Amino acid sequence: MAEALLEVKNVKKYFKTPKGMLHAVDDVTFSINKGETLGVVGESGCGKSTTGRVVLRLLEPTAGQILMEGQDIAKLSEGQMRSKRKEMQMIFQDPLASLDPRKTVGQIIEEPLKIHNIISSRAERQKRVLELMEIVGLAQRYYATYPHELDGGRRQRIGIARALSMNPKFIVCDEPVSALDISIQAQILNLLEDLQQEMGLTYMFITHDLSVVHHFSNNIAVMYLGKIIELASSDELFAHPTHPYTQALLSAIPVPKLENRRERIILKGEITSPINLPKACRFASRCLYATKQCFGEEPDLKEIAPGHQVACFLKDKPD
Amino acid sequence: MSERMKNGAASEYALEIENLNVEYHVDKEVVHALNGISLKVKKGETIGLVGETGAGKTTTGLSILRLIPSPPGVVKGTIRVMGEDIGSLSEKQMEAIRGKLVSMIFQDPMTSLNPTKTVNDQIAEVIRLHDKIGKKEAAAKAGDMLEMVGIPRDRGVEFPHQFSGGMKQRVVIAMALACSPEILIADEPTTALDVTIQAQVLDMIRDLKKQYNMSMIMITHDLGIVAEICDTVAIVYAGSIVEYGTLEDIFNRTAHPYTVGLFGSLPNMDDRTQRLKPIQGLMPDPTNLPSGCPFSPRCPRATAECFAKKPELQNIGGEHLVACHLVKEG
Ligand SMILES: Nc1ncnc2c1ncn2[C@@H]1O[C@H](COP(=O)(O)OP(=O)(O)OP(=O)(O)O)[C@@H](O)[C@H]1O
Ligand SMILES: Nc1ncnc2c1ncn2[C@@H]1O[C@H](COP(=O)(O)OP(=O)(O)OP(=O)(O)O)[C@@H](O)[C@H]1O
Ligand code: SF4
Ligand SMILES: [Mg+2]
Ligand SMILES: [Mg+2]
Repeated sequence: MAEALLEVKNVKKYFKTPKGMLHAVDDVTFSINKGETLGVVGESGCGKSTTGRVVLRLLEPTAGQILMEGQDIAKLSEGQMRSKRKEMQMIFQDPLASLDPRKTVGQIIEEPLKIHNIISSRAERQKRVLELMEIVGLAQRYYATYPHELDGGRRQRIGIARALSMNPKFIVCDEPVSALDISIQAQILNLLEDLQQEMGLTYMFITHDLSVVHHFSNNIAVMYLGKIIELASSDELFAHPTHPYTQALLSAIPVPKLENRRERIILKGEITSPINLPKACRFASRCLYATKQCFGEEPDLKEIAPGHQVACFLKDKPD
Repeated sequence: MSERMKNGAASEYALEIENLNVEYHVDKEVVHALNGISLKVKKGETIGLVGETGAGKTTTGLSILRLIPSPPGVVKGTIRVMGEDIGSLSEKQMEAIRGKLVSMIFQDPMTSLNPTKTVNDQIAEVIRLHDKIGKKEAAAKAGDMLEMVGIPRDRGVEFPHQFSGGMKQRVVIAMALACSPEILIADEPTTALDVTIQAQVLDMIRDLKKQYNMSMIMITHDLGIVAEICDTVAIVYAGSIVEYGTLEDIFNRTAHPYTVGLFGSLPNMDDRTQRLKPIQGLMPDPTNLPSGCPFSPRCPRATAECFAKKPELQNIGGEHLVACHLVKEG
């Protein structure tokens, strides 16, 4: 039986806004096994990035537990968290925005090693940086160049090298390939896969690209307005999508094939605001199957098959 | 606009591009953005223009509207819209064509929307630019257009920022279609949208296209979108078309090593464990293109000939064209 590296229990993150409390992440529970990948999908604004940041405690959770190898990091002090953070890293969508433009590639990758005083000798640090560059496939000649002189794929490799410099156990990858061309995307995805194999890394992989998430993840959590509405293994989710939103989402993927075109489910209706949420299923306003119950109560995540959880009242919806 | 263009009697093609070359002269360098591309679009047909960043897709679209900024742009070649060579038209004649015969939808809706005007006013303005009708009538027609793209007409009094991304893009589409153009150039019209909204917008574009019997140029990097709405496809690499054909040619008889590489880079939806087969390396520098085949530095099959000589597009059967020394007819 695989062992959980990360267990997230009933985590919430609310933001105060002029119009009221915004429920960015609203009571999510999931776990990720060591060496595995949890994919997180859902439309813009559903809370994917916020979940990732809260899990790393880059944002303070409003409520809930975040257990890293059994230890609740939500309870750690600033100082304790600083050393814990080495084990938990993040890779961002836009590498350029997350990299200091005044620093060279070498300096950027070296920085965490210096800050956390991991390697104090300068020569040793340089050796380690070059080693990391090799691991992520960056030629040594880029050591002294600046990130803006490089293309998106190489910049993403810098971001990955930097994250790896701490020998992390867990990495949140927030849309790491979304800004890249298809051929470069595939290079980076293969790199992340190889690193996972070699270093036993555990990933939380945030994306809106459903074919990428299917390929890359062991399990997938589908989010809608701050909630996880369906959670299952990658194969199970694609074989038996059960929540009406998941069904619409998967049917909307443009498939690069001419045969067996699927029937599309086109959603109508307005997206519910994440502020002042009604006591109802958050998807009800766009759901094809919504009943009176759906507008009056909020469904909980329930297991419908081993490892497959769905938050929907409907029992006899079409397959 | 000449009578001939209005009737479109001169040609079975809505658009013909012959040997289009576009260079951008910046500082002392020359960006070779398009290097002799040729293509034809029949009336009512949709062509997909597929390629990665910097391939020259937007440059192609802007060339058709004669909107390449000059300087730095230098444009050579022939473009015929409804049979008429636009190179011979005055700027005034061109203005009459833009938005009327040829419309373009840009990737970012805000480049086409004015944040200080209501959406209904903006659509009405486009209509009055081309049709001599009164304000009231134009406003009513703008309302019709909003409804057609699935936005209640009473929301026309709102400003763009009050709309979601998908709604803004639909307003832009309404604007582009307001004068029933013959040719619609859609430059990554759904890239910024969520998949479910993308599905809505693509569905709508497809329906409207049919309803108006428009020709369309769909610029995209998403082969899934191509499979859903295009009739023919041009694969563009570093400013050259490397493969050109029907959907079946491109998807089921993929021939050019670059196109093969693009498909290999996509995850296999039937078998998630299959490893991706990326194309090695990067796009060439457009100021310093390889002298032989533009793809040769990255091509797994390249031979000495590939590095020495640029392959021409050759017909390998039906209307399937491929520019590769190793791909021959049959
Ligand atoms: N600092 C903040 N203050 C107020 N609201 C915020 C803040 N950060 C995020 N939000 C809101 O929280 C919700 C979730 O945002 P989040 O960035 O997590 O979404 P996402 O799923 O990552 O979206 P995307 O796909 O666009 O990246 C959104 O409604 C967003 O506007
Ligand atoms: N105004 C300009 N001045 C200089 N170079 C330009 C200009 N516009 C485009 N280019 C260059 O011309 C080449 C083709 O650009 P174009 O925008 O047509 O590519 P594209 O295929 O649309 O790419 P993308 O997928 O990134 O939109 C690129 O190398 C680009 O940098
Ligand atoms: S011409 Fe040569 S280099 Fe170019 S794609 Fe064909 S095999 Fe590859
Ligand atoms: Mg995000
Ligand atoms: Mg472009």
